[in-house]
Amino acid sequence: MKGDDFTARLMNDMDPRLLDFVKTKVNSFIKWDLIRFFYENPNTADSADNIARYAGRNVAAVKPELEDLVSSGVMEKRYVDDLAVYSLASDDEMRKLVDEFILACEDRHFRVKAVYHIIRGMR
Amino acid sequence: MERVKTGIEGLDEMLHGGFLPQTANLVEGAPGTGKSTLGMQFIYNGITKYDEPGLILTFEEFPQQYYRDAMTFGWDFRKLEAEGKLKVIMTSPEVTKMDLETVGGLIETMVNEMGARRVLVDSLSHFERMTDDPLELRATQYSLINALKREGLTSVLTKETPALLGELAAEESVTFVVDSYVLLRYVEIESAIHKALLVLKLRGSNHDKDIRQFKIGPQGIEVQAKFEGREGIMSGSPHRTMAESFVEAFVKR
Repeated sequence: MKGDDFTARLMNDMDPRLLDFVKTKVNSFIKWDLIRFFYENPNTADSADNIARYAGRNVAAVKPELEDLVSSGVMEKRYVDDLAVYSLASDDEMRKLVDEFILACEDRHFRVKAVYHIIRGMR
Repeated sequence: MERVKTGIEGLDEMLHGGFLPQTANLVEGAPGTGKSTLGMQFIYNGITKYDEPGLILTFEEFPQQYYRDAMTFGWDFRKLEAEGKLKVIMTSPEVTKMDLETVGGLIETMVNEMGARRVLVDSLSHFERMTDDPLELRATQYSLINALKREGLTSVLTKETPALLGELAAEESVTFVVDSYVLLRYVEIESAIHKALLVLKLRGSNHDKDIRQFKIGPQGIEVQAKFEGREGIMSGSPHRTMAESFVEAFVKR
């Protein structure tokens, strides 16, 4: 038990904003991939089918994750005709948070902590 | 007459000053001839030399690739995006077509917010996968071009030709739709590949009819002198003119 507490404390040792971002917004590896994709290609606006193709994943897996990202404010959804088109949120604060998360991921220790929280969240 | 300069010295000369405002301009060529580079240079020069913000619409290549490619010429697209002068948008032809037909669509909103004046569509070839019907394709291309003009944009649209050398396919409906048509070709001369640039059409204006050599240098496209003493350049395998052959055979000995 004490070991678990120690691990949790160690894994929580990051910027609280990023910790919250990982726990409440990233929380799956598909979302992580999508967030990275949109960080690298910030003005992408496309259907779930095409985004899944760009991300090299199945649309059935990607679509609910995109919807979650819309609900959590990381992404935006708009309808063009009757087609749902997803893009990164235009909100400056959210874009800054996305930038900070991806840049933080360059640090191996941060990545280990983020992976820990994602796996815990998936249980 | 007002012109939209590409900022590429030799090309603007060939166009007698540049493209006409709010026109659709097709740049066609085989893979690797420099279509996207020419388009990016048009956008970059527009922003940095003429204070005309621009958009890049890409359908297959990731924006990340544009940032990298542009940087090799010293064009910092990320910085221009941060300054609100450029947007590299990745989407699909289907979404683009529907978006441009929607009032208050994404592209219209960006054009208005940025005050965009130029757009690169890279590439028009991707619209071909939307339909097998040539009439429907032509209607789609018309609709795209009209929508871009409606937004007040001067556009460069790239199109890929599958053949590296040799004659082009006879039926190319999009060339009738656009206002100007610039062709980039590979040319084989004495076992070396050169690149040729030709303005085939410029609606509403005269233009240079020379076939010029060009290369992609550290600052982008550099248009050079025309091919001298050669015939059949556009076939991809030119031969010496009769006069040149005579000089080679008798005078230079």
